[in-house]
Amino acid sequence: MASVTLRQLTKTFDSTGHPALRDVSLTVPDGEFLVVLGPSGCGKTTALRCIAGLEEPTAGEILIGDRVVTHDAPAARDVAMVFQNYALYPHLTVRQNIAFALEMRRLPAREILRRVAEASDRLGLGELLERRPAQLSSGQRQRVALGRAIVREPQVFLFDEPLSNLDAKLRTEMRAELLKLHRQLRATMIYVTHDQVEAMTMGQRIAVLHEGRLRQLGTPGDVYERPADEFVARFIGSPGMNILLGVADSGRGKRTGGAVLRCGSLTVPIALAYEGELHLGVRPEHVTVCGLGEGVGDAEVRVVEPLGSETLVHLDAGGQPVVARVPGLFEVPDGQRIGLRVDAKRLHFFDASGARVA
Amino acid sequence: MRRWGVAVGAVAGTALLPLLASGWAGARAERALAARIAGTTAAYIALVTPAASGSADYDLPHLLVEAGALARLPGWTSRLEVYRGTAPLVRATAGSLSAATMAALRQQSGVLWWNGAALAPLQDKGARDVVGAVAVAGRPGGEVWRRGALGGIAVPALILAIVLAFGATHPAARRPVIRAHGAVALLVGVAAYANVRAVARDNTDHWLEQTRLLVQEATARLPTTDVTQLATTIRPVARAGGEGADLRPGGDSAAVRVRRVRFAGEPEAVVAIRVGWGRWLALRTLPGETTTGGWLWLCLALAGLSPAVAALLGWVERSRARPRRLRETLTAWGFLAPAAAHLAVFSFAPILFALYLSVHRWSLGESAKPFVGLENFGRVLRDPLVWISLRNTVLFTVQVPITMAIALGLALLLRRHSLITRIARTAFFLPYVASVVAIALVWQWMYHADFGALNWALSALGLAPVDWLGNPRTALAAVMVVSIWTQVGYQMVVFLAGLQGIPDAYLDAARVDGANAWRRFWRVTFPLLKPVTLFVLVTGIIGSFQVFTTVYVLTGGGPLHATDVLAYRIYQSAWGLSQFGSASALSLLLFAILFWVTWTQFKLLGKRVEYA
Repeated sequence: MASVTLRQLTKTFDSTGHPALRDVSLTVPDGEFLVVLGPSGCGKTTALRCIAGLEEPTAGEILIGDRVVTHDAPAARDVAMVFQNYALYPHLTVRQNIAFALEMRRLPAREILRRVAEASDRLGLGELLERRPAQLSSGQRQRVALGRAIVREPQVFLFDEPLSNLDAKLRTEMRAELLKLHRQLRATMIYVTHDQVEAMTMGQRIAVLHEGRLRQLGTPGDVYERPADEFVARFIGSPGMNILLGVADSGRGKRTGGAVLRCGSLTVPIALAYEGELHLGVRPEHVTVCGLGEGVGDAEVRVVEPLGSETLVHLDAGGQPVVARVPGLFEVPDGQRIGLRVDAKRLHFFDASGARVA
Repeated sequence: MRRWGVAVGAVAGTALLPLLASGWAGARAERALAARIAGTTAAYIALVTPAASGSADYDLPHLLVEAGALARLPGWTSRLEVYRGTAPLVRATAGSLSAATMAALRQQSGVLWWNGAALAPLQDKGARDVVGAVAVAGRPGGEVWRRGALGGIAVPALILAIVLAFGATHPAARRPVIRAHGAVALLVGVAAYANVRAVARDNTDHWLEQTRLLVQEATARLPTTDVTQLATTIRPVARAGGEGADLRPGGDSAAVRVRRVRFAGEPEAVVAIRVGWGRWLALRTLPGETTTGGWLWLCLALAGLSPAVAALLGWVERSRARPRRLRETLTAWGFLAPAAAHLAVFSFAPILFALYLSVHRWSLGESAKPFVGLENFGRVLRDPLVWISLRNTVLFTVQVPITMAIALGLALLLRRHSLITRIARTAFFLPYVASVVAIALVWQWMYHADFGALNWALSALGLAPVDWLGNPRTALAAVMVVSIWTQVGYQMVVFLAGLQGIPDAYLDAARVDGANAWRRFWRVTFPLLKPVTLFVLVTGIIGSFQVFTTVYVLTGGGPLHATDVLAYRIYQSAWGLSQFGSASALSLLLFAILFWVTWTQFKLLGKRVEYA
């Protein structure tokens, strides 16, 4: 087991000239389950392939443990990788697929046999060992791909969106299973996904990547409660954080050391002395509805999405979209104007460039 | 109901076709027989009638006597007329020949058909000029039917077929009725052919018997009693009958009746002619029935027509209930038609013709093309040159794995996309699209013993020159090199396509799993390429077994048969030795070999790889 450290990792592909990774630096301590989260094209898979050694970084360093492996061959890094489409060798049986890496390392036959048996027991693959990948369901293939990784007993596990080809139910099961595996093996795992639910439920820490840059690195709580910038704020959460563009005026609020933020039809008093353009972030669950004129302002109902346990109310606050998450079923006709309240303690502020202000 | 009537009419009408064909064949055979007898008789008259003194023309009184005698000969059944010039001699009241007919006879010097009779030219003693004609009338039309045609079942079978046609074309027809109809229709076809065969056989017998009379008459008029001399003198009479007819000394009383024998492997109809005490001549000819094979196929095909029409009508009737399906089927067939027609004309028809040729003695120069069974195959298998060419072909096929290895190596080298690889790919592919003849000519120069580039290079290294294509030890290898050079580009392109079909993820996975390039190739790439490899191997071996042009242009099979391969041997048998039967037999053997080789390869390597 070992930690993984990236130092100012940059990767530019020759064909585009557009950097897929820019100056990414992070450290994954030994035994951590790190989720790399980002929309497609953000560079998260490139980062993973760089760690695996399948891509050579343009600049920067990669360390596994204390060892610099930036230019080492994949075989020399002692990492195991689970691919999005599993990449099970179609001409080999499950047993041969799992044993492949061990054979490549020229382990003695008895040792291979023992380790394959152990891995297949752990994942419940016993009956499938003599089948070929084409004869397996996608869930079974997923397990075989896992088996192929754990049989190596590597220093680092790399997962490249391994659950994206499964249906929703199976995905939930596999999430739990992967976490169980992590607890048992206590291995360093780096898990790439675009699914924030996977990130929030599985990651001990989450690294949010966007356009090749590391936007935030923190626990799921951090990322949710204190997003580093507007992108993270919008990306995490379903639906994401409301961002309202407004102008802060501290003139009238000098007495309290705060200011008043006008955004659309809302006028929000804030405990922040700020003058000028300011973006207000507020999560839908911190927006509540009330009678006209009773809250920070009024808005017009656009669409109501009842989800059973809660209702998402899409509103138009003077040209700015706002979503409110209301508990239970909430019936209100489209076009109706209602008042809005926001939880003053749960407000986030970003400057015009999107960076967090406070 | 009316529609059904039309259908029954169509099916019943087509059921008649085999018999009509049979009648037509009979009529043709009758005319051929009349022509044959006319030719023989003309030769007889030319033999026995003395010339007028000082002229090559016949002495008229003698000619009159001979013609009259012939017409009244006991056993002579043909209606005969002899013309001198245009005037009839046997029945003076009969009409004369027109001048135009006479002129046509002179020009053509073959048998004409005129006024229901075969007209053979009567040449003068010197065989320089046509001085008259011999006419033999065809027998009446009833003769084209033989009661022996399959025990006289043709007519009952036909009636049954027509009756069954009612049942088979009925919309509610059941399978047994349709089957019975097909079987009976087939029976009609067989009966029709049996009639054709019987007519041909009878006609051969009839000619033999009539000619026997002529030979006996001729013998009586000739002074000599020596059998050999008699045979020699009278032989032209027999030979005038064509179709392998001949007269030889020999025979005995056992052969007074016409017999079928095999002589030197060929069927013969033979009859013995007694020309004196214990002296016999044997009159032989090709039995007419042996050349009726084509009629068998025609009769069977026509017989099959009636059930086919019934089936078609039934299908149309059934499809009418589902017009959409009918339209779709017709459209599908419409799309298939061009390809199907191409296959039929350029693949199936030649294969069938080769099958036919392989069991016949068939040569462009000879008119007789008798059925010889498996004789061609036996001859081919006994021919040492065939075995040499087979050995050479197998040796030549060694180039296939060599080419594949080079092609796969090139494909691996050139799989990345860049300008250089693209240029290199094109360069390697060029020989494949170039004309083989042009390539062969260039290589011929490269291999040339005196001016060749190869020997120039050798001499630059201080080595002795080699006559690459002239030396039996190097010629085959030299041809193989040319073949490899031609094929490698094509195989490379196929392998490149195969490599592109392998997802990168497998190779990435193998790299992470710790496989080096060598093991990635042998453990991942190569197994996943198996379908492509199999394709290249099979097509390569087939192509290699069929190699012809390269050999033909480079070495012509030489030196000393060192590059004589199967396809070249087939070509030589057909066009060099004019043995089309043997050539076809060899082609079929080649086909059998290739079929077996391909089948084995599929069995050994054939499990398809499925991508997960």
